[in-house]
Amino acid sequence: MATLKLVNVSKRFGEVTACSNIDLTVNEGEFITLLGPSGCGKTTLLNVVAGLEEVSEGEIWIEDRMVNDLSPYDRNLAMVFQNYALYPHMTVAENIGFSMRLRKRPKAEIAERVNQVANTLELEKLLDRLPRELSGGQQQRVAIGRAVIREPAIFLFDEPFSNLDAALRVRMRVEIKELHQRLGTTSVFVTHDQEEALSLSDRIAVMQFGRIKQFGTPEQVYSLPASKYVARFIGSPQLDIFEGEFESTDGQLYYRIGNQRFQMPDITQLPDESPDLGVRPEHILLGSEGVPARVHLVQPIGPFTYVTVNWEGGSATARVSGVSQLRPRDTVNLSFDTTGLLFFDRQSSMRVELS
Amino acid sequence: MNKNLSKVIIQIFLISFVFLALGPILWAVVTSFLPLSSLTAKPIDLDPTKFTLTNYVEVLDTSRGLMSGLINSMIIATFTSAVALTVGSAAAYALARLSLPGSNAILLSILATQMFPGIVIAIPLFIVMSRLGMIDTHLGLMFVYLSFVLPIVIWILKGFFESIPIQLEKAAAIDGATNTQTFRYIILPISLPPLFATGVFAFIESWNEFFFAIILTRINVKTAPIAISEFAGQYRTLYGQMLASAVLASLPVVILAIIFRRFILEGFVEGAVKS
Repeated sequence: MATLKLVNVSKRFGEVTACSNIDLTVNEGEFITLLGPSGCGKTTLLNVVAGLEEVSEGEIWIEDRMVNDLSPYDRNLAMVFQNYALYPHMTVAENIGFSMRLRKRPKAEIAERVNQVANTLELEKLLDRLPRELSGGQQQRVAIGRAVIREPAIFLFDEPFSNLDAALRVRMRVEIKELHQRLGTTSVFVTHDQEEALSLSDRIAVMQFGRIKQFGTPEQVYSLPASKYVARFIGSPQLDIFEGEFESTDGQLYYRIGNQRFQMPDITQLPDESPDLGVRPEHILLGSEGVPARVHLVQPIGPFTYVTVNWEGGSATARVSGVSQLRPRDTVNLSFDTTGLLFFDRQSSMRVELS
Repeated sequence: MNKNLSKVIIQIFLISFVFLALGPILWAVVTSFLPLSSLTAKPIDLDPTKFTLTNYVEVLDTSRGLMSGLINSMIIATFTSAVALTVGSAAAYALARLSLPGSNAILLSILATQMFPGIVIAIPLFIVMSRLGMIDTHLGLMFVYLSFVLPIVIWILKGFFESIPIQLEKAAAIDGATNTQTFRYIILPISLPPLFATGVFAFIESWNEFFFAIILTRINVKTAPIAISEFAGQYRTLYGQMLASAVLASLPVVILAIIFRRFILEGFVEGAVKS
């Protein structure tokens, strides 16, 4: 276990800047995720931490050592790759034990450790198989085993589930989470899947264009996103963002979207320019109160139903518990749960607190 | 019914193809066991009681040049393929993995050397070799063979090295392997099949080569194909002996192919990564 600290880290490939001015501290035993779309620099950042890419600028600290010039191995970290990168000519046992073989450990000791690791990952029956004789999930577990046997200070995961089917992905997520609870090793996990990030992480760093846009707990990045970008990236289906205007009538504040206006809580300090309004599906309420709207689309997903409604000049998707009886072209009333309103500055796209 | 019919048609096609491919070889083998009198008889006399080993005994007589031809061919083909593999794999790995300045230009110029028909460079090559005093030497012929085997070896191996996922090397680095260890434990073992395959290819190319061998050798370094061709004389051709020599000369290549068949066919990289 160790702390990982990045100080003003940048990585450039020629003219292209992959990561710029990254400051990030991962506490001992913490599980953090680098989340972002492909090409946002998250894998590059992981490679820089691993020592597979040289850092162009800045410092990387593991515990109290600056590791910029250390080899990947000397940084005492282990990495699980997106495509597993198992050694194809070695058996499962040889794959897992390879790092010990390189350190010239006695055969008996290697075998013992390999067995221990294989037991925890339920690989004990597969030790003599070659990677090509394994299923995707088994290959992934071997890749994890190869990392676990090192007992590293830090685990790095580079989109380890992206090649698995949906069901297996959820199962492996559980396994990784259990593994982290058991070992408590500081971990950095890279993914573009926001659900994976939310379910696994202690904290999430949301990245865009090589920069960290927000670093916070799942709760923070979901409920208090720093910007429109973060708000849109986290949460599925996406929240609705409206470009409307504040209006005041008889001391009551409204937000006009198209030809309808929605009641707002009391806001004493209104900005000069109306901000954009973001509302997540669970804060869009369908019922007898509010403005009239017409049902456009009904998507049941089991515990919830997502209902998309239209009105002149606007559309929103609401989350309804259970199975909805609504049908397309029905008329409903729509209102916003005022505790879940997110305001974004129209110019900067950053979230603003209005009170 | 239809399915069976198409199966039969495919089998007939395959069997006739095999006969087409093996026919000449079979004919050569049969001929090599027949005395000249049977071969020149009309119609040809295939009486199995006349089968004889005389042709083989004759051609293995050291004075006939086949033995020394086989030895020369063995020396030249072995060294050519060894050098082609050593130099070629290093060059191919560098071209595939290191970001060398001008590597595309290098690759294209390597390919360009292959675009001239042998006959075009035969005379300049002869002049160069004779000025260097390399006519009728093992080294001279080896250089010439390398000049056309090496480019192909480089291109084949470069393609292979590029197909090795870079993550394997990264994973090895994370596991604590040095560059040498990565090569020794990871890259080399998974490269053996293509190395064997290209090695066999280089060997066969040099073993069978006739055109440059006849131009650049005189007496000392005559290779097996030249020795075989000499059974065809101006006034008569010793068919039996010629084909016995051909059969003998084919043996090393056949044996090589049988030994390395497993490696040549096997795809070792399978299962390395999932994409």
